Amino acid sequence: MSDFSRREFLKFGAALPLALHSLNARAASTPGVKAPPKRVIFICNSLGFYEPNFFPTKRGDLTSSKYLKEMAVREKMTVFQNLFHPGMETSNHDSEKSFLTGAPSPEATNFTNTISLDQILAREMGGDTRFPYLSFSIYDRGWGCSWNDRGVAIPPMHDERQIFERLFGEENLSAKRQQIENDQQIVKSLYRDMEQIKKKGGDASKIESYRTVILELEAQLKHEEFWLKTKKPEVPNTLSDDQEFAFSTKVRNLFELSKLALQTDSTRVITLSLDWIYGAINVPGATGGWHTLSHHAGKADALNKLSRIEVDIVKHLDRFLAELDQIDEGEGSLLDHTTVVIGSNFGDSSNHTCNNLPTIVAGGGYRHQAHTVLEKPTPLCNLYLELLHKHNVDLGSFGSSKKDLGLLKG
Amino acid sequence: MKQIGLIVVSITCLVGSAVLAASFDEKAVEVLEHYCFDCHDDASQKGNLNMEKLLREDSFDGALMFENLLTGKMPPAKKEQPEAEEKRAVLDWLAKQQRDHHQKSFRRLSRHEFVHSVNDLLGTNLDLAGKIPEDRGTNDFDSNRKIQLSREMLGSYFSVADEMLDQAFPEDGFPVEKSWVVNRVRDSHEMYRSFHRPYQDGTLFSWTRSNNGISYSFFYDGFEPPVAGWYELTFDAAKVADFEDDMSLQVHAGRYYYADDRPQPQRLLGVISLGNREVESRTIRAYLHPGESVSVHCYSRHNFRERNPKRGIYIKQLKVRGPLVDSWPPSSYQQVFDGLPIEAPSREDGEVLGFQTKLQEIGGSVSVSSFQTGMEKEKMQDGSNLTFWHTRFSPTVAKPPHYVIFENPNGAGIEGLSFATWQGGNGNGLVKAFEVYFSDDGKNWGEKVMVGDLDVSFANVQPIVFPKKTTRRFIKFLITDAVSLDGKSIASIGKLDVVTSLRAPAESSAIEVASRSPKDLKGVIRRFAGRAFSSTLSEEELEPYYQLGLLRLDDGGDFVQATKVGLKAILCSPRFLMAPGEHANPSFARAADLARVLWLSVPDEELLSVAAAGEFHGESLRSQVVRMLDDQRSARMIRSFSDQWLNLRGLNKVTPSLKLYPLYDDLLNHFLPIETRRYLQHLVQEDLPARNLIDSDFTFLNQRLARHYGVEGVVGQKMRKVTFPAGSPRGGLMTMASVLKVTTDGFDTSPILRGAWISKNIVGTPLSPPPESVPALEPEHGEAKTLKEQIDQHKSNKTCYACHKSIDPYGFALESFDASGEWRARYKIKQAHRSTFTYRPQGFFKIGAVVDASGEIGEDRFENIFGLKKVLLSNQQKIAYNFAKKFFEYARGEKPNLEQRLHLWDFLGKAEENVRLKNIVTEVLIITLNESKR
Repeated sequence: MSDFSRREFLKFGAALPLALHSLNARAASTPGVKAPPKRVIFICNSLGFYEPNFFPTKRGDLTSSKYLKEMAVREKMTVFQNLFHPGMETSNHDSEKSFLTGAPSPEATNFTNTISLDQILAREMGGDTRFPYLSFSIYDRGWGCSWNDRGVAIPPMHDERQIFERLFGEENLSAKRQQIENDQQIVKSLYRDMEQIKKKGGDASKIESYRTVILELEAQLKHEEFWLKTKKPEVPNTLSDDQEFAFSTKVRNLFELSKLALQTDSTRVITLSLDWIYGAINVPGATGGWHTLSHHAGKADALNKLSRIEVDIVKHLDRFLAELDQIDEGEGSLLDHTTVVIGSNFGDSSNHTCNNLPTIVAGGGYRHQAHTVLEKPTPLCNLYLELLHKHNVDLGSFGSSKKDLGLLKG
Repeated sequence: MKQIGLIVVSITCLVGSAVLAASFDEKAVEVLEHYCFDCHDDASQKGNLNMEKLLREDSFDGALMFENLLTGKMPPAKKEQPEAEEKRAVLDWLAKQQRDHHQKSFRRLSRHEFVHSVNDLLGTNLDLAGKIPEDRGTNDFDSNRKIQLSREMLGSYFSVADEMLDQAFPEDGFPVEKSWVVNRVRDSHEMYRSFHRPYQDGTLFSWTRSNNGISYSFFYDGFEPPVAGWYELTFDAAKVADFEDDMSLQVHAGRYYYADDRPQPQRLLGVISLGNREVESRTIRAYLHPGESVSVHCYSRHNFRERNPKRGIYIKQLKVRGPLVDSWPPSSYQQVFDGLPIEAPSREDGEVLGFQTKLQEIGGSVSVSSFQTGMEKEKMQDGSNLTFWHTRFSPTVAKPPHYVIFENPNGAGIEGLSFATWQGGNGNGLVKAFEVYFSDDGKNWGEKVMVGDLDVSFANVQPIVFPKKTTRRFIKFLITDAVSLDGKSIASIGKLDVVTSLRAPAESSAIEVASRSPKDLKGVIRRFAGRAFSSTLSEEELEPYYQLGLLRLDDGGDFVQATKVGLKAILCSPRFLMAPGEHANPSFARAADLARVLWLSVPDEELLSVAAAGEFHGESLRSQVVRMLDDQRSARMIRSFSDQWLNLRGLNKVTPSLKLYPLYDDLLNHFLPIETRRYLQHLVQEDLPARNLIDSDFTFLNQRLARHYGVEGVVGQKMRKVTFPAGSPRGGLMTMASVLKVTTDGFDTSPILRGAWISKNIVGTPLSPPPESVPALEPEHGEAKTLKEQIDQHKSNKTCYACHKSIDPYGFALESFDASGEWRARYKIKQAHRSTFTYRPQGFFKIGAVVDASGEIGEDRFENIFGLKKVLLSNQQKIAYNFAKKFFEYARGEKPNLEQRLHLWDFLGKAEENVRLKNIVTEVLIITLNESKR
C-alpha cells in the first residue's frame, strides 16, 4: 500500500472482516478432531526482578506481591521461590546464556553451552507448524535464550516489522518456490564441493562442522517447501510505533507478535529475551539506565526507578496473559494450552547472584498453586525436566536436574 | 610435575645442553620461591593466589602470573625485584609450560567480512551486514575462533548472496536513471512555520529541535525512490545568517511521519556544511530503499525557534538523480565477465520529474463543483496542505452540493482516498462529513458506496478506505457537512488524492554477455573462484561450481543468469565461509589472511601475483603491508578494530540525557566515532609511537566537535587535523568524547565502569569478574558522601580492593568529563521539571560539588587527567604491548599464547621505533601469518 501503512488503514478505515479464530478452535468444534495443541513460551528478563517487590510477602497469596497483585489471571499462575541453577557462583551476566540450558560456569573461557529447553521441545512440537520455533530479542545481538544441540546460539529476530512480514506478510509464491528450488540445487552442489575438499585432504573437522549446518539448512528448505502449500494467516498489523516510550513499545510489540504467532498456530515454541544493559531507557514514570539501576545497592531513588521499569515489564506480561486467556480454544482458552514461563538468570542482579531465581509458570492448563515455596534451594532444571515430561518428551535428566518434582499439578 | 620431562626435551633443543636445561627449570622455581612465596605461599595466599599449590599441580594457567611479572606489576615496587635474567627464566618457563590450547585451526567469515568481500568480488557497494544476524556474541572480536556457523547464519548468507548477485546482475536489467526536481515540503502544520517557511523560490529551514528534544525532519514531497539503489541528492542551498560559523544541513532518509507525530527513527545520510551566503549546489550520494523519504534537518548553535525565522538554511531546490550505476556497463560486468563481449545498449535517461499526485500517476483527472479564484482545484493537488481548494464565495456564494469528481480513464485499481484539511486559516469550510459514489459515465451515480466523518482538528492525512477496491471510471466525493463560521454553505480541502498501490512498471536497460559457450562459463567461474578462494583449483575441484550453470545454459538459460548460480555456490561454499580456505601454497594463504585482516576482504590482483610468485616473506611482505595500510580499504580494518577494541559498537545504544546535556545532538553523535577512526588511522598510517594512544597535541575535529571540546577557530563540518591549544586536557583515546560517552549510561558517570574500560582496553590489566554475593556499588552524584568516599568503600573490603585498586583510580581521573564527554569542573545535579518535559537549551540541572579527579595507582599519585596520562606514559612499552595483544586477537581470532606474548614484549623493548603503530601491526601480522601456516 502506497501512501500510508496498513495499520493506518485499519485504524481509520472501515473495519476489515477479521476472522481471527485460532485454527484449532475451529478444529475442536468439529467432532472427532483432536484437542488443541500444546504451546510453550519462555521469557527471560535478564536483569531479574527486585525480590521484595516480586515475591509474595505472605506465603501463598499473590496479592501480597507488589508486582503481581494486580495481574488479571492470578488464578492461572504459580510463582516459584527458591529455584536456582547450580554452578553460577561467578557467572555474572554470562549466566544469561544458561537460563534455558542450565549449563554451569558460562563465564569460563572454554565454556560451551548445551541445548536449550525450547529446542528440545521444538523437536517434539515444532514439526507441525510453519515455524518450528521462534526466538525474539529486543535488539540485534545474535544470541538469546535458544541454543542448538551443539551449544551454538540461535540468533533471535528483533525487528518487529520484519518479524510481522515473515509471519504474516504476503509472499510471491512462485518466486519463493523458485528460490527454494535454486537453493536446494546449490546445497546439492555444495555436497559435491565437500567431497572434493575431503578428497584433497582438507581439514576434516571443518568439513564436518559445515556439513552439520548445511544438513540443517536442507531440512529447513524442505520444511519451507512444504509450507508453500498453505497460505499464511491474515492478521491485522497491531504493532505500535509509539516512540515516546520506545523500549516499552518494543517489549509490547514482541509480546503482541508472540500472541499472534501462537493464536494463528504459526509456531508452538517461542523464546523471548528481554535485555538492555546500555544507555538509559524511558518508561512511564522513569528514565534511567536499566543496568545502572539494577545495581541499586538498596538506595530508595534507584529502587523507585527500577521498579517502574519492572512494573512496565510486568504490565506487558499481564496484558499478554490476559489476552491469551480471552482467546477461546477448545474447552478453554489459548492460555490454557500455552505454558508461559517467565524468569531470569539473576536472583538479585544488584549483587549479581543467581540464587532464588524469580520464576513464574502461567497457563498450560495446570492446577495452579499461586505461590510455591521450595524448602531448600532446588535446581530450576527440575522444573524444566517436568515441563519436558508434561510435553511428552521422555528424558531422564536435563541440565542439573535431579528429578521431576511434580510441581505442576494436573 | 609430570610436565618436566617434556620441558626438558624442548629446552634441550633450544639451548643444546641437557645440564643447562635441568637447572633452567629449577631456577625458575627457585626465583618464584625467592620473590613470590613471601606473599603467595600456602600460608599467606595473598590476593587468593597460592603459588605453592599451583606449582604442585600437573598444569595450571600461568597467564596471570606471566602478565604481572612481564609488565612489572609484580613483585610490587616496594618489594625486592628479580634480576632481568631471573625474570626471564621464569617467563620462558611459564611460556613453555602453557598447555597447547586446542583451538580450532579455522574460523568462519564474519558478517562484515562477508559483505565487504562480496562487494569487492562483484564490484558492488552494498551495505547489507545488517541483514545478517550479529555474530560476535559476547566475544571481544568478530574473528573469535570459538564462534561457529549456525543454520540461521548460513541461511542468511544464502539470501544476502542472492541479493548482492541480483544487484550486480539484475535479471530484469538496470532500472532507467531518472531525475527529480522538488522544492516543496510535505504536509506540515501552520505552527511549524517557526521551523520552515516559504522563502524566495524554495524554503528557509531554521533549527528544528522539537519540544521533546528530538530533531524534527521535514520531508521533501515528490520524490520517493522507485527501486533500491544509489541516488545523488543535490541541494541548491545557502546560509542565511551573518555569523561566522557554518550551518549544517543534516540529510536523512526514513519512514515519513507527520511533524505532529512522534518522530520515526531516521537514517543520517550525510551532512552538508554551508558557509556561503550565495546559493551553491552541494551533493551527497546515498543508498535509498523504496518506501523511504528524504528529509532535512537544519542545525546551527545560533538560532533557536523563532516566529517567522530570519536565519537558517535556504534550500532553493533538491535535485535527485538515480538509481546510479558506477559506470556503463557497470563494473560488476567488467569485473566478472572480463574478456567476453558485453552488449550494453546505451542506458536511457528518464525524464525530469516534479511532484506528481497518485491521480496523475494513473493518468486521471479531477473536477470540482465550483472554486474561488486563487483557490482552484489544483491547490489540493499540489502536495501541500498549506494551499487549498475552496468553493466559490465571491462574488456570489456557490450553492451546494459541493463535490469533487475523480476520473480514472485507465481503470486503475483505486483503494480509497487520502484527505487532509487545509492548515493556516480560521477553519471556515473544513469538511466534517462526506459520502462517496461511483459511476461509469459520470452521470448515473447510483447508491452511495460509503459515508464517513473527518476530524477537522487533525492536520495529518486522513485515509478514506473504500469497502472494496474499485476500477470504475468516476468517483465522487460529496461533502455533506462542513464547518461554517458565517452560516453559509461552503467547503474547502487542503489535499485530496486517490490511493492506489499501482506502480508504473520500471523501465530498464538490459545488458547481455554475448556467449553461449560452456567454455566461457567455466572460465568466468574459474576466475571468480580463484579470487574468492585465493587459490587455483583443479577442474575436478571446480566441477561442483560449473555443473549447475552448465545445466542451465544447456536448458537455454541466459548466460549471465546461468553463471550466477555457480557464483552463489562459491560464495556459500566452506572454502569461502570458513577460513583459511584450501590453498595451493602457503603464500596464497598469507595473501588471503592479510586481505581479511587489513581489508576485511579478498586479495586484489597484486597480492595474488605476489602470492603466485611465492614471495610472501621479509621485505616483500612488509612492503605489501605498507601498501595495504595506505589503501583506503584499510579504513574498514580501522573501523572494525576500533569499534570492537574500544567498545564503540555500543555508542548509539547510549543517549545522553537532554536534561543534563541539552546541547547533545545527532550531529555530534554522528561525528564522535569518526574522530576516533580518523585519529587511529592517522597513527597507523603515519607510524606514530604508541604514546599517542595516551596523549597527543592533536586530533581530528570539525566545527561541531571543536565546540564540544572548547577549541576555537574551527569553521565547517569537514574533519581536519587540529592542534589542541596548550593546556587542553584532550589528546589520546581516553579523553575522546566517543569513549567518554560509551562508558556511561547517558546520565551519570561511573568511575568504576570507566576505570574498568581503561584497565582492560588501554593498560591491559586482566580483570576477573567480581565474586558472588559482594554487594555492588553504584555511586551517586547527589549523595552527601562524596563520590570518592562512596567508592573508597572498596578499600574497606579486602576482596574488593585486591582488584578495584587497579580499576577505580583510572576512572577518577575521567571524572572531569561528563557523560557527553564535555569537560566539567563541577557536577550537575538533575532538577525536576514541571509536567511534561519540554526541551530547553539550558537544560534542567543545578551545579553541584567540585569534581575530585585525583587518585593513585600503586605508588603513583595523580591529581587529575594530566597526571594520569603522565603515569601511563611512563611505561610506553606496556601500552604498546596491550595494543599489540588486542590487534593480535583481532587478527587471529584468539589471544596470543605466552610464547607469542613474550616475543611481542621483547620486540617492543628492542628498539625505540618498534613501539610505532605500523611496526606493531606489521610484527603482529608476521606472527599470525606464521601461525596460519601451521
